[in-house]
Amino acid sequence: MRTVFTLILALLLLSCATARPGPEAFTSAEQAIMAAERAGAEELAPTELRFAREKLGEARRGIEQGKYEIALYLVEESEINSELAIEQSRAAQSRRRVNELQRENELLREQLEAEYGESFK
Amino acid sequence: MNRLRHLALSLLVLSLAACATAPKKDLALERVRSQLEALKADQVLAGYASLALGEAERALRAAEQAVGDDMYRFHLVYMADRRIQIARAMAQREQLEQTIDALTASRNTMQVRASQLEVERARKEAEQARMLFAASAEEAERARREKEQALEQGAESARSAEMALEEAAQARRLAESRASEAELARREAELASQQVDSLKRQLENLQLRQTESGVVVTLGDVLFESGQVELRESAHASLVEVVDLLQSEPDKLIRIEGHTDSVGAAEINLSLSEQRAESVRAALVGLGVDTSRVTVIGLGEDFPIDSNDTAGGRARNRRVDVILLDDV
Repeated sequence: MRTVFTLILALLLLSCATARPGPEAFTSAEQAIMAAERAGAEELAPTELRFAREKLGEARRGIEQGKYEIALYLVEESEINSELAIEQSRAAQSRRRVNELQRENELLREQLEAEYGESFK
Repeated sequence: MNRLRHLALSLLVLSLAACATAPKKDLALERVRSQLEALKADQVLAGYASLALGEAERALRAAEQAVGDDMYRFHLVYMADRRIQIARAMAQREQLEQTIDALTASRNTMQVRASQLEVERARKEAEQARMLFAASAEEAERARREKEQALEQGAESARSAEMALEEAAQARRLAESRASEAELARREAELASQQVDSLKRQLENLQLRQTESGVVVTLGDVLFESGQVELRESAHASLVEVVDLLQSEPDKLIRIEGHTDSVGAAEINLSLSEQRAESVRAALVGLGVDTSRVTVIGLGEDFPIDSNDTAGGRARNRRVDVILLDDV
């Protein structure tokens, strides 16, 4: 009877437990952070980049405390924040370019209108 | 035995329950879903980033259908939220890129308009220069007429002065010298109008340029059908202008160079360029250019005047240069 209970207990534990992830579990999320840094996220999407770093740090602590499953969620959440940081940085760069072009076009328009005395609308 | 089966059953139920939680109304999930709806209904962003939007919808569905503990479900809701933010950022970028294209296009339009106005301006200046020369020609003509009158008067006085032959002869000599002066004035007037013509030609023909070896007229590839060596029917009209230019300097030698772009084998290009240059020579001679003035050479693809990497550059490289050689 006692053996049976021990078995139940073991099974219950196993049904939710995950094996301890190795350092390779972080590789992809680490690379994503570097990619976001390269995309200029430090300047253009600092909040999301901070989230990505914090989540990865939490994930590392989770592993140390044996909370493997939560740790793996946090790794995924870190990575998706890096992805978001990259997209937001790109959008911000496009926005800068739009502003730049608008300024340049306005300047050119003024120059040409002064030169030729007719509307360039 | 019976007890054992009960036990096995409860074991199964327990192990299932251990990970599952009954799904309940989830405020966070509601919020994420309404964000997705808002993005899809956005006036500016609707229609952009459809792939990313699809991924966001899948992530949301996964969160809605999730079976598991709170931690797992919270994780999926969080992922769905981030996916929606990603889709929004991508949609914004696509929309901005389109704006960039539109701004670039409007810049190009302005520049094209400006160059049209520049050409118009040059034309007006040429017209003014022509009028200036015409005015000076008129003045010369007036001077000539005045001198003619003087000549007639001189002749008349010669006839009426029969009593003094010496005087008459003197008057005739005077009249003759005046006639040659008038001739000189007429020649000057002619020269002035020739200068007007040549100036006008140079301004009209944008393909004209001065190089070390002489004036180069570049005939573009529109003279030939693609791959053909015979001139198009329409090419003769533009060649007439070239002939006018060449005949304005009848003492200068002429070199005709054929050039191609870098598409295709170099040997074929060389032969094509030579045959095209030859066609141009035949046409120019046919229009009256002295054949002994003309030399022809095919140079193939080796002397581009523009990049061979763009269609416009290649079109400029496919050409026949007619060079009016400066005296050596």
